[in-house]
Amino acid sequence: MNAPDVTSNPATMPGAPVHPSWVAFTSRLTAQLAFNEDRFFLILAVFIGIFAGLAVVCFRITMDWTRLYLLGSALTPSPWRAFLAPSVAGLVISALLFTIFRGSTGSGLNQTKAALYISNGYIPLRTVIGKFILSTLAIGSGHSLGPEDPSLQIGAGLASALGTRLNLSRKKMRILAPVGAAAGLAAAFNAPISAVLFVIEEVIGHWSAGILATVVLSAVSSVITMRLFLGSEPLFRIPPVEVIRWQELLAYSVLGVLGGIASTVFAVAIGWLRSKVKASPKLLQFFYPAIAGLLLGLIAFAGFPQVMGAGYDFMDLAMHNQYTWQVLGMLAGLKILATTLSFSSGTPGGMFAPTLFVGAMLGGAVGTVEHLFFPQLTGSVGTYALVGMGVLFAGFLRAPITSIFMALEVSGDYTIVLPVLVANMFAYLISRKLQPVPALEQITRQDGLYLPALEEEREQEILTVEDAMRPRPAIILESENTAAEAWTFVEATSEDYFLVRRPSKSVAVLSRPDLQKLVDSRDARPLEETQILSVVPYLHPDEDLQVALRQATNYPLVPVLSRANVSRILGVIRLADIMETYRKSNRDNAPHG
Amino acid sequence: MYLFKRDFIIREPLLVSILVLIAIVFSALTHSYSQAYDRRRAALGIEWSARGNQALSKGNPVAAVEGFRTALLYDPQNWDYSLHLADALTRANHVEQALDYYLALWQRRPSNGPVNLQLARLSAQKGDAADAERYFNGAIFGDWPGDATGSRRTASLDLVNFYLQHGDNRHAESQLMILADNLPEDPQMHTLVGNLYSQVGDDRRALNQYRQALQLDPKSLPAIQGAGEAAFRTGDYRAARSYFDRLLRLDDSNTEAKKQLAVIESVFLLNPYEPGLSEPEKVKRVLRVFEVAGERLGSCSASAIGALYDRWKQLGAIANARFLSEHPEEADTLFDFATFAEKQAQSGCSEPNPDDSALLAIARLRETEGR
Repeated sequence: MNAPDVTSNPATMPGAPVHPSWVAFTSRLTAQLAFNEDRFFLILAVFIGIFAGLAVVCFRITMDWTRLYLLGSALTPSPWRAFLAPSVAGLVISALLFTIFRGSTGSGLNQTKAALYISNGYIPLRTVIGKFILSTLAIGSGHSLGPEDPSLQIGAGLASALGTRLNLSRKKMRILAPVGAAAGLAAAFNAPISAVLFVIEEVIGHWSAGILATVVLSAVSSVITMRLFLGSEPLFRIPPVEVIRWQELLAYSVLGVLGGIASTVFAVAIGWLRSKVKASPKLLQFFYPAIAGLLLGLIAFAGFPQVMGAGYDFMDLAMHNQYTWQVLGMLAGLKILATTLSFSSGTPGGMFAPTLFVGAMLGGAVGTVEHLFFPQLTGSVGTYALVGMGVLFAGFLRAPITSIFMALEVSGDYTIVLPVLVANMFAYLISRKLQPVPALEQITRQDGLYLPALEEEREQEILTVEDAMRPRPAIILESENTAAEAWTFVEATSEDYFLVRRPSKSVAVLSRPDLQKLVDSRDARPLEETQILSVVPYLHPDEDLQVALRQATNYPLVPVLSRANVSRILGVIRLADIMETYRKSNRDNAPHG
Repeated sequence: MYLFKRDFIIREPLLVSILVLIAIVFSALTHSYSQAYDRRRAALGIEWSARGNQALSKGNPVAAVEGFRTALLYDPQNWDYSLHLADALTRANHVEQALDYYLALWQRRPSNGPVNLQLARLSAQKGDAADAERYFNGAIFGDWPGDATGSRRTASLDLVNFYLQHGDNRHAESQLMILADNLPEDPQMHTLVGNLYSQVGDDRRALNQYRQALQLDPKSLPAIQGAGEAAFRTGDYRAARSYFDRLLRLDDSNTEAKKQLAVIESVFLLNPYEPGLSEPEKVKRVLRVFEVAGERLGSCSASAIGALYDRWKQLGAIANARFLSEHPEEADTLFDFATFAEKQAQSGCSEPNPDDSALLAIARLRETEGR
């Protein structure tokens, strides 16, 4: 048997000295191939998207099967099915909620946020399974709830489960929940941009390149997965959006105002009823989902079965001008009532679809009335219904940016952007004015959780360096000066620290005792050569005061330089100035009374 | 996970491989689940669409609407379900709702002939003339399943009728000319186009269409009657007489044809401008015409004709053979007055007899020849 030829490679020769370049190459290769959590995290985001997409596909199909079995295949269920299904399902849901799936109550959105801020993004797999089963049963039986928020939590839960199994770091686990949430929402909505924006706007509250990349990757992969199974058709068959005349913006403003009021009514109703439900005895709470189902059945029995379930099919009909304005208005009001009953009773299910339903009906009603009185205007009822959806999204869920992109993404038509902007702005401002605490925030507080209110954070006053800086000091020393020369300038002042301008355009700080020491030692060298100057970082007037705080804790005096000319000193800032500015701001913004 | 805790080179590819494997397994499971779901949805779509069709055939469009709406719930992109739903909505008289569905279909296939035609009809029904015209043209030049030429012809005929309803004879005539160029060898179709030409007022082209119809079916009663009437209106009384004679030979119960024939006979007897007449014969006919007008005026109420009867009496002074042979130019004056009086007597007077109608026909012929 021939021995292996090792002579061709000197590095493999027994006893041969290892060549340094070979060592460098192998160590580089090892470093490249070694596990890299950041890189793996991006790959993981894609898989999270795929798994969330698959889960959402199964969730939607199961929900539809459930509806078929419980409510029948007709578009509007027979009265007895409509009457019985939600109440019986309510009892089953309560039984499961009180025994096996205790953590699966609510819409899923707040629970995901809570997981992110309280348990480092950890969501138990049991909660995810519970949310899947209970939401399916609730929505399939006709409870007035939607599948999007549960999808969001299912996505986040799957991501969390995967992260836990892979033993990811705590920092990565925290990011993982929003990544999964975006994937779940994107698949449920078939709208990746809106999902990414919503998660950034409402769940995380801030973004960086790393977070954005993972969230986008997961959202895109989940939507692709979902489309592979359920097709790429949008949730609604959007009618053509007509060219919008400027006069119509008035009608859209009216829609915005009405949407703002409706959002407030919706939020107040849920807040009120939920607080009553929460305060009632535990035994009674067991029966609330069934009672809500019974009342919902009554609404359906009275001739409005459209309010049952997520209601996408009826939103589609509203968009295609299939109802009179009276029916549309009635449906908007009854949906608020039905959703308030279902959601407040503790039945698991989301608020997105009902919000969109109310918006579509309200928009459709405004559009139909407008057509009745001003037939010359071109906006179709479908366009109004679509704008209405955005309006309620902005007013009730308080996600103004997402609401605009959602309307654009769902319609695929840029023409709609103007009415959406106008109407959403009115709805958002009116809703904020009438109901300062957003509905979701209110619900979280009722649950005893105090999560960061991202809307409030956005509204907080941002303090900048300019707010705390002092004017430019009268004396700025030059580093070419000797200590004696410098002393003649500062001798008469009471300052403890002085800025020294250096030839390299950087600025240094010199303390009075250090300068005096040089003078006393009769050191005739320029200050630059004495090694006594300590170079300080600088700030610009528009920078966040938090940045200044980090600098000022390390340096007694931080110069503030012009952005246009960094050799120009505009002022100085000290730690005491920053603290005083914060104190003043707190005093000014303190709640009255 | 052990592999994850140790810094092995193989760890990342291994993890990715495991994840790929899991994804494949779950995708396969989801695929079977969604296939079963799709099959069920498709079956439900067919079932509800059949219910809709059944309701439609029983003349219950409201139940049909429910059926097709439910069918669409299970197959939202199904073209036929949408089309049937729009049709059912139209039949249930929900014009606006039907329009919305047709518009959605049009958005998907802007060149679809049936959708364009329905949109045109609904727009016309709504009084939206500009949209109707646009969609009619879309239907004429659009894609049709089956007999595309026949369907396009139907759309063209609809457009002609639409123009006629809006009093736009010029466009109607243009459209008819295009249509007439592509007609099949069908006597009924030629007769129909002839009738439309008659409505537009283009009697010569109408006559041409009736003649083509008669070439294909010489015994077509509507074509013979149309040809007779068109020939009469063009002043070709001999041709008209021949058509009405032919018509009466085939159907002697046609009272309208008999009336027309009587008028034509009167034209032949009364027309003073018939070529080849001697001067005394012309004078004789003018005097007869003047007499016919007088008889008509005599049957009228005073309020209907005003001082016209007095004027007739005044002109009676010159209405004699001697005067007219001395002043032949006055024959025209008497004739013009007689026809003017007949025109005025069309309301508030007795029913015109064949002589009265003949007088009006002669006047019309004279005006045409004068032009």
